[in-house]
Amino acid sequence: MISLGQLNLDSETAFTLLPELVMLIGVLAIILIPNLGNATFRMPLTNFRVPILIGGSRFETTNDPRMPNRIATATFAIAFASSLLMIDSTSEEVGGLLRSDAFSRLFSAMFIGALLLVSVATTHRIPAKKNARVPEDGDSEVTTSRKMAALIDNRRQVDFHILLIMVGLGMSLMAMSTNLFMLVVCIELASLSTYVLVAFHKEEDVGGEAGAKYFIVGSAASAVGIYGMSLLYLWSGDLSLDALAEKWGQMQGMDPFAAFGIGLMMVAFGFKVSAAPFHLAAPDAYSGASSPVSGLLATASKAMGFVALIRVLVMITVPDFGEETTWFLMLAIISVVTMSWGNLAALTSENPKRMLAYSSVAHAGYMLAAISVVGSGLAGEEGTRIILIAITFHLAVLVLFKLGAFLVLSLLETEGRGHRMQDLHGLGKREPLIAGSMFLFMLSLAGVPPLSGFLSKLLMVNGIVSSSAGTGSSSTTDVYSWMESVDPIFWLAAAIVANSALSLFYYLRLSLVMFFEESDKSSRLKSAPSLRMAIMACAVLTVLCGIGPVSEWLVSLVTTSIESLMG
Amino acid sequence: MINDPLSVITLAPLAVGLALLILPKILSSAEGLARASRAISMGVALAMLAITTMIFLGEIGSIDWTDYGSGYSLTNESFLLIPSIGVSWTVGIDALSFPMVWLTTLLIPVSMLVEWDAKRGHLFHPLILIMEGALIGVFVSLDMFVFYVFWELTLVPMFFLIMVWGGDDRRYASMKFFIYTFTASVVMLIGILVMYLYTPDVAGSGTITGHTFDLGVMVSSASSIPSEGLRHLVWILLLIGFATKMPSVPVHTWLPDAHVQAPTAGSMLLAGVMLKMGAYGFLRIAVTALPESTMVFIPLLLFLGMVSLVYGAWVCMGQTNLKRMVAYSSVSHMGLIFLGIATMQPLGIAGALFMMFAHGIISPLLFAVAGAFKHHYHTLEIGSMRGIAHHSPWLAGHMMLGWMASLGLPLLAGFVAEVTVLIAFWMSFGWLVLLPALTLIITAVYYLTSMQRTIFESNDPHQGILPDSLHGEDPSDITWHENAGMLILGALTALFGILPFIFWDMMSDWSSGFMIDVLVQAMESEGVNP
Repeated sequence: MISLGQLNLDSETAFTLLPELVMLIGVLAIILIPNLGNATFRMPLTNFRVPILIGGSRFETTNDPRMPNRIATATFAIAFASSLLMIDSTSEEVGGLLRSDAFSRLFSAMFIGALLLVSVATTHRIPAKKNARVPEDGDSEVTTSRKMAALIDNRRQVDFHILLIMVGLGMSLMAMSTNLFMLVVCIELASLSTYVLVAFHKEEDVGGEAGAKYFIVGSAASAVGIYGMSLLYLWSGDLSLDALAEKWGQMQGMDPFAAFGIGLMMVAFGFKVSAAPFHLAAPDAYSGASSPVSGLLATASKAMGFVALIRVLVMITVPDFGEETTWFLMLAIISVVTMSWGNLAALTSENPKRMLAYSSVAHAGYMLAAISVVGSGLAGEEGTRIILIAITFHLAVLVLFKLGAFLVLSLLETEGRGHRMQDLHGLGKREPLIAGSMFLFMLSLAGVPPLSGFLSKLLMVNGIVSSSAGTGSSSTTDVYSWMESVDPIFWLAAAIVANSALSLFYYLRLSLVMFFEESDKSSRLKSAPSLRMAIMACAVLTVLCGIGPVSEWLVSLVTTSIESLMG
Repeated sequence: MINDPLSVITLAPLAVGLALLILPKILSSAEGLARASRAISMGVALAMLAITTMIFLGEIGSIDWTDYGSGYSLTNESFLLIPSIGVSWTVGIDALSFPMVWLTTLLIPVSMLVEWDAKRGHLFHPLILIMEGALIGVFVSLDMFVFYVFWELTLVPMFFLIMVWGGDDRRYASMKFFIYTFTASVVMLIGILVMYLYTPDVAGSGTITGHTFDLGVMVSSASSIPSEGLRHLVWILLLIGFATKMPSVPVHTWLPDAHVQAPTAGSMLLAGVMLKMGAYGFLRIAVTALPESTMVFIPLLLFLGMVSLVYGAWVCMGQTNLKRMVAYSSVSHMGLIFLGIATMQPLGIAGALFMMFAHGIISPLLFAVAGAFKHHYHTLEIGSMRGIAHHSPWLAGHMMLGWMASLGLPLLAGFVAEVTVLIAFWMSFGWLVLLPALTLIITAVYYLTSMQRTIFESNDPHQGILPDSLHGEDPSDITWHENAGMLILGALTALFGILPFIFWDMMSDWSSGFMIDVLVQAMESEGVNP
């Protein structure tokens, strides 16, 4: 079944797997380079000393605590560029388990792009100080603890960035998986790394609690998913996605193994996209983790869950897009509950990070609603294509404005704050550009034209409504009888619109406190030039991806990738 | 540039305004730009006025406005902005939008002139320039997406004008202004989206969605929305957005607060052009696209218009704040626009259009007067100050002219509008006309009382009563630029009162053509071949 022996790493394969190889090399470099020193080996009986590099006292450059961050950022930049360039119509199989095509490459670009932003932001969130010193005897208590904290931060650089790259490696390989087993293993590789990242600030109470909660709920969900996978294996005897789809198509009636298997896998993926009722750990995890990591969970990790849902749910179980599937009604109900729950909870949140976490739950609801329409049997092939384009586009631009909002919070966190609404007070006066960008991110999350959040929501609503077009009697005169005659999936679109209108209140509230509330602080925030640049880039792209040639380019990339997925 | 003057007058103010705001911030060498920004803004505004005046005179586009048919003039070649969902940059004007465009380009330099000495002028004047671009964009864009973007964009400079240069309670006022109008616009957006989802796949439609935001296509395909009930729903959603902007009772409460706190130029533009966006959008989109729903909801329009008219006037009588009084009188006059549309007569609609135009000149005059009053007497309380005629004969004169025009004195612009709406109203609803007519008496009452209590009536014929807010100092007379701005507006009030046909012809042409279209459509839906 799984024959790793087929994987011959020739030059062609190496090129196909270029982003992954780059990340692998990056991990090795992060492990090796900080350990390089001037150690030498004296040839026996001679005075000739051969430098062996590993050990001894370290060189000036390798001793630099900023080194791991630089390596990670460079790695992500190269991997991002190479995945972006690989989005074309060609499709390469690797070892029978992986396929590199436009769809997988678009998503790996999305994942790695998010990680690139995170690694840039981390320079200031977990700062590496070149001149950190060991505390001396005469130091006061405060100085000692500050010096110790700086030393600890320096020590953690390597761990943090290795974990980041492992997340990237897992997600990127996951997007390419054509085998359910490979898919689950890659998800676990990425997930286990994110559990540690969430708990990374273990000296803070919330960090440890968040990590533990996220880990326990996450591993329970994974266990359920793996049980589902084993049921699917019992049923089909082959875990390759194509074979599963074929077997599903030939199935007479509904095999209980298959149904339970798919259902249990949905639990695991539902946790990843934080769909209700599996979302309960998400707000705690987001608010406990450092902001860049929360942003990673809200964008890349969520996108990973949706890739899995699309691969398993849509590509296996939708028979020629013409019949209603068993999961349609359940997913539709889950989606409406998810978006409403997320929005209502966000309305009452006083912690901006929890608010963004709940808003991310709501966004998962919108996308689940769109996926459930694919299962309704009304969408047809064309409708399915439009809906998948909409979801993929939404996930791509979400990296810009959702992660951008978390980056703003991470800039606030350099002051040791960012978890109360009051921390945002007066930001409009202190940092007009940063506050303006945050305002843009909020408007885009709410879906206000002409920002990219509007475009993606419009595509989604349009996909749903055009699937329900044709239903609904045109001869009715009053709106009630028309409402009765229209197909229920129309109400999913109505639910998205109503929820977006509802969400406007908390997005606006967050924006308005920045401009209207006075703050006791009037100084500017830390300079953090690279983080500011990342925020600005997100803000500019949020506008550009909504209107004009850049948005068109992105839409065409997404269209290519969905076409390569649907064949 | 000559081929596409409308894109120029929309984008040039936006670009120059943004450049003047941003360049001095990021370039240290551009400090001179900040000093010159006031003059540059005024120059650009005047250039835009010159272009629209030349369009009016037929120098650009050679349009004969005295005999204007249907369709749009000066349209550009559509340029696709978002091909995947069918958004394009399309502009054009007709007899409905042109008076508004000209009014905007007129009011921008005048309001700049009135606030020539505004604090932080290097930011103030560019913001007004951005406002100009956004306002013109609303009136000229023929693509609903772009229309909506400009519609929302007008909020931003106005928000900052109130927030930064406003009165003591500016924070509350700007927040209320933003939340009210923004929420209403989102409701309107839902209506627009429903219309969008039922447009046919034509050239320029979205490559993914197969629908288009083109205004003409959206309007003509609105009748293909299934179910009359859904069409009514769309109409109501649009009405909520437009009525809040106008504003009509019961969604008018943001207006008095915003007006009282806004700086003079902000109030002038708010009352002069921004309120008209509501009426314009209502006519351009809701009434044109869904005439049958409009017919069905005439009683609602009648009710809203009547309540706004009477309630606005009634509340005016109790106001002691000058700006608040003028703001409520705007609510009252906007009610008259709804009544004009509700008549569904060419004359009534033309009257409503003229009302939009006349109110667009008179209310800025009133706010300029109120602003000058505040500036020199440091109060807005009616009655705290008496006998202005002694101190500031010019201010008293402008005040009197403005109030007379607003209460509808013959030979001033407001009269033409009121009288035509009332005649059409009589033709449609008969003796019901007594109610709006009697309201005009209330209007006269509150204006005349206020006039008596501020301009005249002092115990000492040589010395007025000065408000406490001056702390015993003598007030300064109004400045030359305030006076010049008010003189221009006053002269135009008289000009359009005596010679209303300058704009009246094109307005009545548009409304007759519009009514014919509506009738044909109504007959077609009844199955009668016209």
